[in-house]
Amino acid sequence: MADRILGGIALAITLAYAFFAFMVIRAPFQYDPLGPETWPQILAVVAGLCSLYIVIRPDRRGFHLSHGTLGRVAVVVVLLVLYAFLYEPLGFILATALFCGVLARMLGASAIRAAVFGICFGAVGYLLCVKLLALNLPDGVFSKIL
Amino acid sequence: MNEVFAGLYQGFGVALEPMNLLYVLIGCFTGTLMGALPGIGPINGVAILLPIAFGAGLPPESALILLAGIYYGAEYGGRVSSIMLNVPGDAGAIFTTLDGNPMAKKGEAGRALSLSGVCSFIGGTFAIVLLSLFGPMLAGIAVTFSPSDYVALMVFAFTCLAAMVGRNPVKTLLGAVLGLMIASVGIDANTGVARFTFGVPDLLSGIDFLVVVIGLFGMGEMISLVEQMSSGKMNVLKSDKTFVSMKDMLAVKWTVLRCSIIGFIVGVLPGTGASVASAVSYGTEKRLAGESGKESFGKGDIRGLAAPESANNAAAGGAMVPMLTLGIPGSGTTAILLGALLLFNVTPGPLMFKQHPDIAWGLIASMYIGNVALLIINLPLVGLFVRLLTIPLKYMAPLIAVLSFIGVYSIVSNPFDLYMIIGFGVLGWALRKMGFSLASVILGVVLGNIFEDNLRRALSISAGDWSILLQSGTSILLYILAVLILVLPPLFGYLAKRRAAAEAELAASAID
Repeated sequence: MADRILGGIALAITLAYAFFAFMVIRAPFQYDPLGPETWPQILAVVAGLCSLYIVIRPDRRGFHLSHGTLGRVAVVVVLLVLYAFLYEPLGFILATALFCGVLARMLGASAIRAAVFGICFGAVGYLLCVKLLALNLPDGVFSKIL
Repeated sequence: MNEVFAGLYQGFGVALEPMNLLYVLIGCFTGTLMGALPGIGPINGVAILLPIAFGAGLPPESALILLAGIYYGAEYGGRVSSIMLNVPGDAGAIFTTLDGNPMAKKGEAGRALSLSGVCSFIGGTFAIVLLSLFGPMLAGIAVTFSPSDYVALMVFAFTCLAAMVGRNPVKTLLGAVLGLMIASVGIDANTGVARFTFGVPDLLSGIDFLVVVIGLFGMGEMISLVEQMSSGKMNVLKSDKTFVSMKDMLAVKWTVLRCSIIGFIVGVLPGTGASVASAVSYGTEKRLAGESGKESFGKGDIRGLAAPESANNAAAGGAMVPMLTLGIPGSGTTAILLGALLLFNVTPGPLMFKQHPDIAWGLIASMYIGNVALLIINLPLVGLFVRLLTIPLKYMAPLIAVLSFIGVYSIVSNPFDLYMIIGFGVLGWALRKMGFSLASVILGVVLGNIFEDNLRRALSISAGDWSILLQSGTSILLYILAVLILVLPPLFGYLAKRRAAAEAELAASAID
């Protein structure tokens, strides 16, 4: 069943892709006989055939996922989005400390350990990457001090 | 032959520069470490560390030496978590668990680790010797390839991929096409027409290869780790003082040689890497061992440990061959290395040995050094890596996420990319859960533009006549090979089944 749904999603995406490939993409003038639209058209046809095959003859294995696990995955994704959202405004150190602390706590570390891990990782990671490897990371709220 | 020695001489000149030597050692060490961590394989290690190496501003040959070191280092390191934890780092290490873990349970952990270390070394070095011998030769042939030959080569590569990687060929193919579709986003270089950008300015230059790689293999892996996390603690077996003996090595010498050859050949085939190599070699050895093998394989037979370990390291070297000489990666991980080369404006392919001999030969020479270094790192220091296995997942998962964020942000500093990698992470996790091979997706992403460019160039030459694709001998040969690869394995499987059925019938009638 899960395979059917997935095949259906793939088919829907392919149809949207095919719509653009066949109807929208046009070059005002082109030098080669294929132009920008032929290649996406070929891909759309192959992808469509594959997705159809999966819908018609799906594998038997299901999508084994308990509600608890699904919830955990969802929470992690939300945390990641929050981390991305706060990355620039708060800066690497603070955002990382918060993210690591909260995630480690959620995955079963004790509150104190999670906090220490988050703060150490944020600070050490920043020093290592910015000072030693000269990578570019956001300073955020600490931009005055650093 | 002279060309090979001259190239190696130049290559060792590059690889023995103090900084590059340092990068080989760092790469091998980090790679072993990454490989040894449960759940992280070579492809994840290279994916997570690639942008950091890129962002740190290393020169191309040094960056590639470092990344390649991480790659084959991780192939070595993967055996540690397989043997001690029974948790393979990636698909290539699954077969190492079958006999490695039982050995460790019998109290021969030290013997298993050292034996597999030596086998990895032999397999890896064997592959590099063949790479340095055949690489330039293959590149010499590939220089004459026309665009239509390249199209045939791509078709061959994707057929190999579909036929040999993953359980369901249709899913593997769909994964590859998905990769090709991802690569088609952005402004078309030939006409300047924007494709699939929906007016989002961040998409005009296309979806960055690094974003896809880090999303699928960094974030996706992290989400998988969180998903698989069970409340129970993982049980690390104790390392002990047992060690591989000369007698052990003599007992497996033919196994190691056979599996190195198998591994190398499978590695060279475009699209198929270490996971297929170790599966094929383990199966072959088990069959060759006959009746005695049926009993002992899977219960701690040293042949069953030596086979996949020598094969997957030979495959890692073999996969470099098509990447360096044809510009077509032999595995998912080399696809990432190929993308890394493109980031440095080095176009891998037949001309690389001519245009960038310092990079091509420097990389090959560094692999000789790296394998020796890995043997040294892995025999006495293996205890250290075993201790690392005890890093709990609750700290590993945030670590991977933060490294992925650093990697993506440090290159373009575009927060939009951070959301993109999360999206690709969810996609990668879901696809893997559904039995897709992510390696095929990344191969599609890397090869997308090359595939399209060559097709369009070929048809420009013929002014739109599709029959040009079938006009050269090389391309016809490649299409025939592609068909054979698709048809032969099921045919053999069918014949074997029929023979088994016939024998069973014979046996039944004999009893009557």
